Amino acid sequence: MDETMTTEAKREQRYWDDVNEGDEVPGFERPVTPTQIALQVSGSQDFYEVHHDQEFARAGGHPDIFVNTGFTTACFGRLLSSFVGEAGWVKKFHMEMRRMNHPGDVMKLTGKVIRKYTEGDEHLLELEIWSENERIGVTTPSTATVLLPSRRQATS
Amino acid sequence: MATNTPEEMLQEARKLIGWETEPVPSRYPVEYDPIRRYCHMVGDDNPLFMDPEHAANARYGSVIAPPFFIRQTSGPGPWPPRSQEIPTASGRVLSPGDRNIVLNTEFELLKPVKVGDRISQTQRLVDVYIKPIRLDPKTFWLVNETIFRNQDDEVVATMRNTMVRHRTPEQVKAAGDAEA
Repeated sequence: MDETMTTEAKREQRYWDDVNEGDEVPGFERPVTPTQIALQVSGSQDFYEVHHDQEFARAGGHPDIFVNTGFTTACFGRLLSSFVGEAGWVKKFHMEMRRMNHPGDVMKLTGKVIRKYTEGDEHLLELEIWSENERIGVTTPSTATVLLPSRRQATS
Repeated sequence: MATNTPEEMLQEARKLIGWETEPVPSRYPVEYDPIRRYCHMVGDDNPLFMDPEHAANARYGSVIAPPFFIRQTSGPGPWPPRSQEIPTASGRVLSPGDRNIVLNTEFELLKPVKVGDRISQTQRLVDVYIKPIRLDPKTFWLVNETIFRNQDDEVVATMRNTMVRHRTPEQVKAAGDAEA
């Protein structure tokens, strides 16, 4: 297994009070290897050939197979659920599959906090998150609205 | 047999805008192992999704699914085939091409999805139109909305996505259409 399969060793709860606009959303990398393609099919149960059969993809006009929406969505799911922790919640998510990730690319997922605000009792953050690779740069610009616990609520 | 032009197909397809499927139940309840495989796919070791003992003592009292898990695993699944066709809104749209690419996806998550939940989904076609892409000047663009409900009829999530359906370069050539 590649080294990106290492675990998030620390799972300390993040609190809204401690987050600032501009903060980084800690990310991770996924190299698009043959094993990753196999994991993609296993995890997403998406058997559409364009994501695993090179000849099929090329006949469709693509240079190679490309990773599917389910896998990419799940990557962002991991990024976001790690960020909000067990007391937080991912409320909204929008993902643009602008460019493709092909075998050989290394997908790097990361992001930053762009807005910190409250709405009623909810302590919210708006995040800009994305996947990028060396070949293209940002392939998958995305946004999310997440809820974090506040220290005040935790102690009241 | 006369073949409909893309424009004629679009005219038919647009009649389906707003049409919503009956709730399509998932074949099985939400289960541990598909969640584990989903996490394995992206190297996620979050115990909330995989460790029943940890999850029992955590906020939701049981293992929950990762944020967008239901997109992949709700519905009848890829095997075995069902005897009658499961209607999907986009599946009823006839288009010149059959090559799909998802362009964007949007989720609103309202409630946790727990192991044992029985999820059903309804789909609605929001829009369909023709707009060229590099591969095909007569590409169909489809906007779909899916509503996921649990066994208590609570909406747990909504999803909206835009996908394109295009022809292969060979099909474009055969139809005599110039590439965009």
